[in-house]
Amino acid sequence: MNSLVALIIGIGVAALGYFLYAGYIERRIIKADSKRATPATLYMDGVDFIPTSKYVLFGYQFKSIAALGPVLGPIIALQWGWLPALLWIFFGTFFLGWVQDYASAIMGLRKEGQSFGALSYQLISPRARLILLCFLYFYLLLIVAAFGNVVATMMASAPAIPAAIIALMVLGILSGLMIYKGNMDLIIVTILMVVLSIFSVWLGTRFPITQGFLTWVIYALFFSYLGAVLPIWSYTQPINYISFYLVFIGIVGASLGILIGHPDFSAPAYTTFNISIGPLWPVLFVTIACGAISGWHSLVSSSGTARQLENEIDARPVAAGAMFLEMILALLALIFAASFPAFGDYLNKLKTAGPAGVFAEGMSNFLGYLRVPRTFGTAFAGAIFVILAITVMQLVVRFMRVATAELAGDRIPLFRNMHTGAIISLLLAFLLIHSGTWQYIWVLFGASNQLMAALAFLLISLWLLSEKKPFIFTFIPMVFMFVTTISALFLTSRSLLEKFYTLTEAQVPKGQTPGMARTGNLISALIGMFLIVAALLLLGDGLKVFFKPDKQNGEVKNV
Amino acid sequence: MKLARFFIENPGVRYIMYGGKGGLGKTTFSAATAFYLARRGHKVLIFSVDPQASLSDIFARKIFGQGEVEIIPNLYALEVDADRRIKAYGDEIRKRILDMYGFEKVPEEIDDYIKAASAEPAMEESAIFDEVVEIITKGGYDYYIYDLVPLGHALYYLSMSSVYDAWINKIAALRQEMQKYDRVIATVQRKKETSEDKILAELLYIKERINTSSRILTDPEMTAFFFVLTPEEMTILDTAKACSLFSKFNVPIRGFIVNRVIPRNLIRENIPQYLKHRIEMQESLLTEINQQFGEKVLGYVPELDRDVRGLDMIERMAEEMFGDNNG
Amino acid sequence: MSKEKKGSLKDIAKEFIYGMAAHDMTRYALKTRSSMEHLFILITMGDLLGVPILPPYYSLRLLPYIVPQISTWKRRMLREKDLTDALF
Repeated sequence: MNSLVALIIGIGVAALGYFLYAGYIERRIIKADSKRATPATLYMDGVDFIPTSKYVLFGYQFKSIAALGPVLGPIIALQWGWLPALLWIFFGTFFLGWVQDYASAIMGLRKEGQSFGALSYQLISPRARLILLCFLYFYLLLIVAAFGNVVATMMASAPAIPAAIIALMVLGILSGLMIYKGNMDLIIVTILMVVLSIFSVWLGTRFPITQGFLTWVIYALFFSYLGAVLPIWSYTQPINYISFYLVFIGIVGASLGILIGHPDFSAPAYTTFNISIGPLWPVLFVTIACGAISGWHSLVSSSGTARQLENEIDARPVAAGAMFLEMILALLALIFAASFPAFGDYLNKLKTAGPAGVFAEGMSNFLGYLRVPRTFGTAFAGAIFVILAITVMQLVVRFMRVATAELAGDRIPLFRNMHTGAIISLLLAFLLIHSGTWQYIWVLFGASNQLMAALAFLLISLWLLSEKKPFIFTFIPMVFMFVTTISALFLTSRSLLEKFYTLTEAQVPKGQTPGMARTGNLISALIGMFLIVAALLLLGDGLKVFFKPDKQNGEVKNV
Repeated sequence: MKLARFFIENPGVRYIMYGGKGGLGKTTFSAATAFYLARRGHKVLIFSVDPQASLSDIFARKIFGQGEVEIIPNLYALEVDADRRIKAYGDEIRKRILDMYGFEKVPEEIDDYIKAASAEPAMEESAIFDEVVEIITKGGYDYYIYDLVPLGHALYYLSMSSVYDAWINKIAALRQEMQKYDRVIATVQRKKETSEDKILAELLYIKERINTSSRILTDPEMTAFFFVLTPEEMTILDTAKACSLFSKFNVPIRGFIVNRVIPRNLIRENIPQYLKHRIEMQESLLTEINQQFGEKVLGYVPELDRDVRGLDMIERMAEEMFGDNNG
Repeated sequence: MSKEKKGSLKDIAKEFIYGMAAHDMTRYALKTRSSMEHLFILITMGDLLGVPILPPYYSLRLLPYIVPQISTWKRRMLREKDLTDALF
């Protein structure tokens, strides 16, 4: 398979999905009406509900759904060969991904901008909302653990990168000062800082910083801690802002590289059914979440975008459009990994430097077609990877801090302190990073994400049912999500428990003691089992409502 | 005479207040002082917010709610009709809302809120408070004589001043914090200016009003507070207490005036025993007053044979207070 | 925000870039500011709760500026809050 051909096919699939399938659903089933008032125009409170241009929203949706997920997943999944990953990326997005994203936005629009938490409570059962929050909580916690792990692995194995990241922190803080305290022009500061950041990537190759895995874990967590407690304009916002441009430049550059170089894949179409992370079915489908179907997106669509859409017909370009674009991003990551000079190189890199290293080398291969020097290219790509991870991590930790305060703050006053919430989440994440096995953590993360997707499909199906609209196109995805994800959880938890009981010396990951590894496996197994129970309860509640649509478990609450 | 000398020696004083328990002669003294100063060629405004319209009574004219009424050349009297002012204020707010938002009529819940707030007792006090600040800042007079309502309210205002000030500082800080976020949004969305925070401007205006009032009330150069008392046991005790309270708030107490002193020379004449006793009792109490307040007693005013009403009596009172026969 | 724009390519690109680079932070800033605003309304219009803090004469002065927020304030206060609200 040729990389450029794969890209072109991907664009074709996106076009087909967007214009034909999505167009059909929009016109025939949803019947989007440009004259109907949206919550943004009705409620206009200048805070949550603000009518916003679809171009802005497209950017917003895309940014909110795409981070490291669509990049990491495909890189790992390549171990099964490029074909399964490619097919899942295409078919997943085509039949599930955009459907969820789009329908969630529409449901938000038609239900007065209520959040999925509120809607779960109303349409499924009161405990469904709690279950959603549990899925969300684990999703977030596991993001910090999973991303923290890959970041630390990357920085430990590529000493050229840390300098760039630290420089980015400093430049970010400086930008904040210059823009908000110094009143300097935004564009000037942007250009200056982006240039300086790129320069510091180069500096990093000159002045490598070598530290161990543990050091970088602590660094990453500290970075996120700052992001959670400092006022956003002084730290998080400028850093995320500058970072965006770096990522954008990198991705666009690499895409041009595909156009120019268009190498063939070195990876085989298919390797074997069982790999270390698990069997192709069901594990592939939780390994690649973002880029095919991801429950997280349903929350972005409903609580975020739906409250800003000016018009119902904007929903398809924004929600479906962003999903298809993310699909292309996932495809790009797959292409980067599959186009190594040899498949063995890929496997090797994966083992030594993790998926981050694969991404860095793969992307720099393509940047190479633009005459970007190798060392710089790898450092730049690696920095982009790390940026994608830590910018999400700090937002997540900030959110967990707020969530902790809200959930537990009433009963335990200590939790109301903003530092407490952040620190607790970070400690939990650290525990998981340090004692857990990374690939299982990734599966658990994917699973909690996919369970949110299952819930979203359930919710949307129930809504369509109540509107007397056909819902087969969300119902089948729902079944698929439940079955696949629960199976994946089951298999993984079983492996984890096995490891807990029968861990051999050889199997202990580097840097851990057997005791630690076993504890980590046990905790992960418990999380997996908890998720299974929650999923089954949710499924039960959902089916109950399906077969008795008039009796709902929760009272109907009005906004 | 001492009182007259006070004014000569303190030409910077512009704000005069007579304080003391009710019924001891504050209004009388205020009116007389106003009369005296006006006669000497100064432009004087005597004002009151007492709903009982005591100025109208003493000048024997309708002054209440009539704006600044000229009594004699240079002497103007003003009695604020607080109720009317509050109502006008409420309407002013309503109109502002209609103008700002182009409504046909004020939304019901907003209107209810305005009505409820207007009916609160605290509204009357704060409206009066603001009215006084308004009068003072408007200027145009050489002397302002504020006929104060009884002791309690004055102290209330003084104590609340610093509380309000602290609160406004906190709220203003909150608004400034909010402005920072506004700036983030404006910068990132590349809007050139954030609209000036009008609320912050209003807060600062309110702060200035409150501060003006307390500034003036505590400035010894500009303000003179005279305590009125009578030679009676309870009055002396109360005055002493009030004194210490007022000085805690830095109100410049410039003097004491003793009212209702029964003329001593009466004792030589053939008077009933009861009257003799009263005079003797006043003697001892006057001594006590002298001991307690000594230097600061600026005058002893006799009990006049008639109620002080009308310009003639006021003129007579002024003579008693400022004339040569007084200390 | 977009009704007047003709959608020239440059404008579209600008909006798209803004949407990706900064819009989520803008929303966050707006939300933080609005929770402060609610606090502010609570403090100054405390009379509504029977807790007069500012003299009513002066808090009435601020009323015209708060009018638009009061109804949305009430709706926000009454609306069912969700953790996801804090995220987006």
